[in-house]
Amino acid sequence: LPTPPARLPYVPHLPPMALLGKVTATTFALERPRCVFDGHADASDAVWLAVAFANASGAFRNPQSRAEVPPYKELPTARSYMTLETAAAAYSCSAPSPPVLRVGGDTACREQGRQDPCNGPLPSPGPYRVKFLLMGCRGPKAETLWSEPILLRTALSPSTIDPAPAHPGSALVVISSILASLGAVLATAVLGALGAKVWGSLCHQGLGTDTFIRRSYRTHHIPPALPQPLTPGCGCSPPGLSHSAPQPPAPC
Amino acid sequence: MAKSDDCVHILQGLLIFGNVVIGLCGIALTAECIYVVSNSDGPYPLLKATENRDIHAAAWIGIFVGLALFALSILGIIGVVRASRTLLLVYIILMLITFAFEMASCITAATHQDSLTPDLFLKQMLERYQKSDPNKNSDNEVTKTWDELMRQNHCCGVNGPSDWQDYMSAFRLTHSDADYPWPRMCCVLDAQGSPVNLDGCKLGVSGYYNSNGCYDAISGPVNAHTWGVAWFGFAILCWTFCVLLGTMFYWSGIEY
Repeated sequence: LPTPPARLPYVPHLPPMALLGKVTATTFALERPRCVFDGHADASDAVWLAVAFANASGAFRNPQSRAEVPPYKELPTARSYMTLETAAAAYSCSAPSPPVLRVGGDTACREQGRQDPCNGPLPSPGPYRVKFLLMGCRGPKAETLWSEPILLRTALSPSTIDPAPAHPGSALVVISSILASLGAVLATAVLGALGAKVWGSLCHQGLGTDTFIRRSYRTHHIPPALPQPLTPGCGCSPPGLSHSAPQPPAPC
Repeated sequence: MAKSDDCVHILQGLLIFGNVVIGLCGIALTAECIYVVSNSDGPYPLLKATENRDIHAAAWIGIFVGLALFALSILGIIGVVRASRTLLLVYIILMLITFAFEMASCITAATHQDSLTPDLFLKQMLERYQKSDPNKNSDNEVTKTWDELMRQNHCCGVNGPSDWQDYMSAFRLTHSDADYPWPRMCCVLDAQGSPVNLDGCKLGVSGYYNSNGCYDAISGPVNAHTWGVAWFGFAILCWTFCVLLGTMFYWSGIEY
């Protein structure tokens, strides 16, 4: 019977640093395990990542050889697969490497029916559990613990967005109320002034009592009419024909 | 009697000054509204796509109200100087009509400003960005405008790149989530226009993607236009109100 693989006390987890793309709808990132497999791994060994649905992780059985590794395209039926086959040296303490592993980032291998380990996008939000498995020539040599369930993001439909403003802004309220009141005051004032004038003219009241603005009149100076003096003439006019004051006819 | 004459002259002077200010403000309002109507750069295609043309209606009304204010202010000055009841009555009635129109313009502009919420642009962006429908030209306009906006302002989405993750979108239908958690324009680009670090951008490593939202870059210029039309018109109306009240008082004191 093959020896059971050593259980390493490492728990795979999401990277602790703030990354916006840590978990998307079809991918997630894991912190790269460092120094975890030192002491168990030879130079020819490979570290695989086993991904299973959270409720199927208990039923997962380690493959005994590389030929038995469940491929990516059987994830819907087998409820698990293994991917990210990497040389064990990449996870050693001294290896300089990016601090995160991205699961699901390879869209090219999805279409082709390759048997190679495919790091294809995950088909559903999950939740998923993962563990690392150190595979040697004769089978699994070490494994980590299963991770906590990782739930991927679900996108909402844009029809749930309501673009209407929640409540009218303060600017609108201020402008509307002040303008409405100004307009009402003006309308009232005009109607009141017109009404007062119409009322005044109907009742024939003295119009000049409360006017204080006088137009500039162009006044004509009309001198009082003076009696015209009669021109002294040789002829005597018969009495009664002249309208002026009676005067004795001047001597011719 | 001399004191009353002085008061009359002071009132006349004030009314003439008020009308001069109204005339100048009318010219300024016309110029500003012509600028708003003709200014079509920046985020204007996004506004056009929202099919909300209220700001245009308010600006067009503002152009004509401004010209009307200028003409009526001249009429008012003549009426005050000649103390003519007829001229001043015509002036008051026409000013009231202009007041009503400008009131409509202000309230329309303020309502329009209110309606430009982030959610409005978010919904439009999700439904129309990269829609790749060759028949609808306006969708291409939206895509080009957003690309330009994100490139120039180093921003992504309306509230941030998480918009593309939180909601389904037309973009998502043609670009897989694994390759494009958010559009390439959200990545920090080099001089040739390609991402500096594509993997870093996809993961969301700070420094390789734009984490700000573009809403500030959109609402800034749009708000400047709307506030200009709405609040300047409001200020003119407050001043006009005072001048009109003074004119009515003056008119009621003129004898036949």
